[in-house]
Amino acid sequence: MILLAFVAVALLALASVAAGSDHRKMNAACIIHAFLYVVLTLYVLLFLQLPVSSFLVGSQYFFMDRFGLFEVLIASVVFTCAAVYAGGYVESLLASGELEKGSLKLFYASWTLLLLILVLAFFCDNLALFWICAELTTILSAVLVAILAARENIDAAVKYIFIASASMLFTFVGLIFLFETSRTVMGAGTLNWTILVQHAPAFPSEMVLAAFALVFIGFAAKSGIFPFHTWLPEAHAKAPSAVSAILSAVLLNVGMYGILRVWAIAHQTAAAGIISLFIGLFGFLTVGIAAISMLPEKNLKKLVAFSSIENMGILLIGMAVATPVAIFWVLFHVMAHSLTKASLFFSAGILHRQYRSHLSADAVDEIRDVFRFQPLAAWGIITGALAIAGMPLFPVFFSKLFILLQLGMVSPAALFVLLVLLFIAAAALGYFVITAFSVISAPGTGPDVTPYLTPLTMKLPVIFLLGLILIAGTIFLPGEVSFFDRIVQELMFR
Amino acid sequence: MTDAALVQGMIRILLVCVIITAAYIISTRNLLSLVSVYSLQSLTLVFLSLALWTLDSSPVLLAIALITVVSKVIIIPYFIATVQEKIRIRRDIEFHFLSPTTSLILSMGLMLVVYMALGRILRGVPARENLFFFGAVIGISLMLMGMMVMLSRKRAITKVLGFLSMENGVLLFGMFVTELPFIIEFLIIIDLIILVLLTTILTVGIDSTLEDYHKRLHRFRLVQGPEDQP
Repeated sequence: MILLAFVAVALLALASVAAGSDHRKMNAACIIHAFLYVVLTLYVLLFLQLPVSSFLVGSQYFFMDRFGLFEVLIASVVFTCAAVYAGGYVESLLASGELEKGSLKLFYASWTLLLLILVLAFFCDNLALFWICAELTTILSAVLVAILAARENIDAAVKYIFIASASMLFTFVGLIFLFETSRTVMGAGTLNWTILVQHAPAFPSEMVLAAFALVFIGFAAKSGIFPFHTWLPEAHAKAPSAVSAILSAVLLNVGMYGILRVWAIAHQTAAAGIISLFIGLFGFLTVGIAAISMLPEKNLKKLVAFSSIENMGILLIGMAVATPVAIFWVLFHVMAHSLTKASLFFSAGILHRQYRSHLSADAVDEIRDVFRFQPLAAWGIITGALAIAGMPLFPVFFSKLFILLQLGMVSPAALFVLLVLLFIAAAALGYFVITAFSVISAPGTGPDVTPYLTPLTMKLPVIFLLGLILIAGTIFLPGEVSFFDRIVQELMFR
Repeated sequence: MTDAALVQGMIRILLVCVIITAAYIISTRNLLSLVSVYSLQSLTLVFLSLALWTLDSSPVLLAIALITVVSKVIIIPYFIATVQEKIRIRRDIEFHFLSPTTSLILSMGLMLVVYMALGRILRGVPARENLFFFGAVIGISLMLMGMMVMLSRKRAITKVLGFLSMENGVLLFGMFVTELPFIIEFLIIIDLIILVLLTTILTVGIDSTLEDYHKRLHRFRLVQGPEDQP
């Protein structure tokens, strides 16, 4: 029944967006929507018996387990912050004429629907239904990328749809394989994850291997894994920053969630060894490509987008190791990356408003005198860059450290390669920040830059998220460890 | 019920027809006929599912036939044809990487690979007649051929057709290999329609200049607000 509450909240929000007359009201509806999801998720986590199952009589399409709730919690926290941030950001897009007033309703309606579909996706027990929800998230987020109606945005959105959807078709073929496998083994075909994961050890390895490889293609494309990552930097860089944060912090998780769910089935079969190598190889290629692409990058948002690709690669490597400890830290890394990346995109968005190039979204950011004009955003970027590079005190430090340690137990050579690649990526971030932020023009000589008065709604989410990652990086909240442990158990990695 | 052998023969012929339409989509330069060929391909799929229905009379196949007629034979082709008229592009003569001839040769090779790979993977699945295996191979091949269209064409609207024929391949594969619950099939079609609508609308933006695009969006009433002055 609680699922209906999620749907009802979304429908109410959608109705108030449709009825809303001005920007402020629509934005408020979105903030309340996302915040209520945080409350609802916490309620389910703290007060209900988990996993919650069978909401709708007779159908087993939805369920709520800890893994799903964990992803929903991340999504709703990021959406709440992003909605608050959008209040100021969209206002400034409207003022500069980059967003037409007529598109506002479409923007907020897609926003609300996207959150609903995301939540439903994470609560899907049936993998085919999850596939459909994942497809819909692609479509809705593409609308949010294309909303600015600049040619570059449309190009990026179409590229995103084509690559993600075409790859997702392979995933569907993989799911058909999985369905057929379950039918030959269990008599009746099913795509319900809870049943599949119970019967997985009996599955023949050839079918599982084929199914996993095909399923991997689509979810990898959604998460920006090499060689399907080409859409990601453009879409993330050209979307409005509030949307970039969602794309990077929430939508990439959808693909990773799908891969981890299917991996939970596949790793119990005889094909686990080959698949593990397969995942690891793609992980390394992804981190490598991202790190090398980051070096010459001069556009801040693209740089941050490539860093997302890098982190997805790290997640894959952690999954490939597949020990319970590695999966534990993979989950932790998902959370750490989402929160850090959202804050980075928020800060980058403030800088983008200050220094936006009128020529093209591709153009080099002309950042100068950043500490004079936007001190908060500058410190936000510096702290965020340190956090995502994995400095101590920040959560990414621990997840990277333990994933690396686990990898080192499997193969020291692989550990060495990964360390070099991570160092390159961190150096690229550091190089950009140092060169861009040290441009200071002598008083009175600099070009005519009017300071952009950053509204409070754009500053608050940055401060809040940075505070949150500092807490996550220094202490474990009571129950956090056992919560992650239970997810690892539910996923049958033991 | 009709004679089973006759139906099986018909299914084989229809599968060959599917491949012919796919080859046409890969090689043609005429955009208008591309849409009608896609429509024809979908119609062949409808006949295929009807033929399969006469063999095992599962109501899901009948339902698939029905929604395929409505969505892929009528609505989607009509919509794309309307958009094509609006953007006044009749020919797509630009190809990336691959010329049509190379693509055709490549797709023959792909079919062979698919045949061998599926032979290995489906070995564990019992009681699979020859016909069903053949259908599965054609399904995957159709999907890969559609992907080649997406890779080799420059115009976004042709890419949309490539995507659609990929999707037809998945449907074909699903029809022959297994039987998914109807609700899932139905939702997939809904998803597909939304996807095509959105992509086609955005495509208008890529295949024409941006000023025109704004005007067209207003004409389609997709964006409210004051008319842009050209």
